[in-house]
Amino acid sequence: MRSLIDREPATCRRTERAIEPGDEAPDFEFTSAGSTRRLSDFRGSPVVLAFHGAQWDPARAEHIDTYNRLIGKLGGLAGARLLEIGGDGPWRELRFADDALSLPVVALGDTSIASCYGSGDEPAVFVIDGDGIVRWALIGPMSLANPTEVARAISVVAEPFVHPPNEPGAVHEGSAWTRRDFVATTLAAAFALALRPVEAHAQRVAALGTAPARQSARSVTLNVNGHDLVLQLEPRVTLLDALREYAGLTGSKKGCDHGQCGACTVHIDGRRELSCLTFAMMQEGHRITTIEGLANGEQLHPMQQAFITHDGFQCGYCTSGQIMSAVAVLDESWGPADDDVREAMSGNICRCGAYPGIVAAVQEVRRAQASNGGGQTR
Amino acid sequence: MIDFDYVRATDLASAGRAGAAPSTRFVAGGTNLVDLMKLDVERPLHLVDINDLTRADPTLAAIADLPNGGLRIGGLARMRDVAWDAKVRERYPVVSQSLLLAASGQLRNMASIGGNVLQRTRCPYFRDTAMPCNKREPGSGCSALVGINRSEALLGTSEHCIATYPGDLGVSLVALGATVHIYTPAGSTRTLPFSSLHVLPGAHPERENVLRPGELITAIDLPPLAAARRSLYLKVRDRASYAFALASAAVAVDLDGRTIRDARVGLGGIATKPWRSHEAERVLIGKPATASTFHAAADAALADARPHRDNAFKATLAKRTLLRALTEVTA
Repeated sequence: MRSLIDREPATCRRTERAIEPGDEAPDFEFTSAGSTRRLSDFRGSPVVLAFHGAQWDPARAEHIDTYNRLIGKLGGLAGARLLEIGGDGPWRELRFADDALSLPVVALGDTSIASCYGSGDEPAVFVIDGDGIVRWALIGPMSLANPTEVARAISVVAEPFVHPPNEPGAVHEGSAWTRRDFVATTLAAAFALALRPVEAHAQRVAALGTAPARQSARSVTLNVNGHDLVLQLEPRVTLLDALREYAGLTGSKKGCDHGQCGACTVHIDGRRELSCLTFAMMQEGHRITTIEGLANGEQLHPMQQAFITHDGFQCGYCTSGQIMSAVAVLDESWGPADDDVREAMSGNICRCGAYPGIVAAVQEVRRAQASNGGGQTR
Repeated sequence: MIDFDYVRATDLASAGRAGAAPSTRFVAGGTNLVDLMKLDVERPLHLVDINDLTRADPTLAAIADLPNGGLRIGGLARMRDVAWDAKVRERYPVVSQSLLLAASGQLRNMASIGGNVLQRTRCPYFRDTAMPCNKREPGSGCSALVGINRSEALLGTSEHCIATYPGDLGVSLVALGATVHIYTPAGSTRTLPFSSLHVLPGAHPERENVLRPGELITAIDLPPLAAARRSLYLKVRDRASYAFALASAAVAVDLDGRTIRDARVGLGGIATKPWRSHEAERVLIGKPATASTFHAAADAALADARPHRDNAFKATLAKRTLLRALTEVTA
């Protein structure tokens, strides 16, 4: 295993027993990009310490969704999305929308620190509060791919930061999260591939032998689910690919990629459109809503709930597109019959054949809206 | 997809200049162009986004009354907005219907009217870069002539191309006798009868319309037409929705009692361009609105049909489609 750390970390004291909540977190030192840091440098901020297996790379693209879900669960920070993974070597900076939150990640090349926490070879996560006291610990089979428990712990520890005492019950408005002093640090005993997603994309393109860029990637600001995301994109990146591969919003699905299946349906300025058939650059200045932005925190959109109630899906792959389409259909001028719903929804293909449930779900929400005086669902 | 550069035009003059450059495409909704770019069928090096033109000139996306009683539809109006517009639905039902029976709800929200009528005339071989296609690569040959040609055209074909014009709106517009307004890069405008916008494939199927580089459709005028209020678009497909026409008919009939005073007939799904059947109209006008008249009109409309191996059934289907459309619209 190649160590990405400049030199061996200063040894901390080995412990025979696992560190538990209430214990002081063993301090340790590590070096990154020429500068030495200690865990105690992060006093005043909550820290997430994660020990993972050797295969875990914090910068791998498949973790982006996990990070987003993790952040999304931190007090319902809907819309805070990973913008980019920056930095080199062991020290990574995960930057989220609006600079609301940054999540430094350190990938260490050995397990000596893990032994100071008594986790041995097993994966483990510790949440440390601003005073350096372990507040939550989990040792054993788990991973950041199941972030609910971690998120719950972070939200407890981070409560004073998220909801300052003078704002009791403040509900996750931007102001609470624009504070930059909430730094969660993930330390991973792992082998890290120093590949940023954009670089990886460039390498794939090069591998395909495509001509060099005539117009290189440039900053594109997309307003997605109420947040401005700044992405570095080439003109040929479709909105769907920008959402999935660059913004980490994988709820919009790529089915046919040619406008024939509807799986990629999103709302643009409130209208349902196909994100696979428009270039991301064309959508600068427009309001984009994806399935991730539909729910109100933990409260599902009525259409999401209706799809569950009426079993409007089987495998689920087309579902986000179906739901986005269905929500927008109710703002269009269609008639009330089941056949009207079928015609209106014909651009969304369901190969499992869940159509009866889909029609029932749309009809339930439509009737509920009608009885509420025709109010809109969004 | 090959790389390209992208600019947004803010006014017609800059759009025209940028659009006149070689290897340049305008993009509005993108629903046809982006699809073909992903297939490497369209390979523009420059894309000029014309959507912002409506900021300087909102009439480019508007639907407005004309002094003569007609309607002017902006080239950047979206299919959805025209389809549901109250004036269009009341005065030109065939236009509304042909839009609502086309594509899907999502695509109709995206696609512009100008882009819709200019969508490529295409067939499965045109989309498949592994196969010869005179339209995609002039001189390479036509795969459809000897290949699977069920979806291909019966009318207006040539020995070089038998691809079907797939649009629906264009069939209505050609039947109604619409007019196209075009902005030219020189800064002037010109108008064309809609029936002159598209050209037959002949020896050059790569050329589908008479627009020159940098020219833009700014508006389409629907003429005042008594027959238009009694009009209908009937589309027959392999499935109930979201499919191209196997055969379609746009009909408008003005009745004097049970006598046909005026009739307009457009045919889709079976021709290489939006097809107006003057032959059928001549049979209909002045005759009683009866089944035998309609039969005669349908026979006249398809008299020149040139079927290929797999698509002969469409001649019969198109006749029956026209027959039913005329029956329904005069009921």
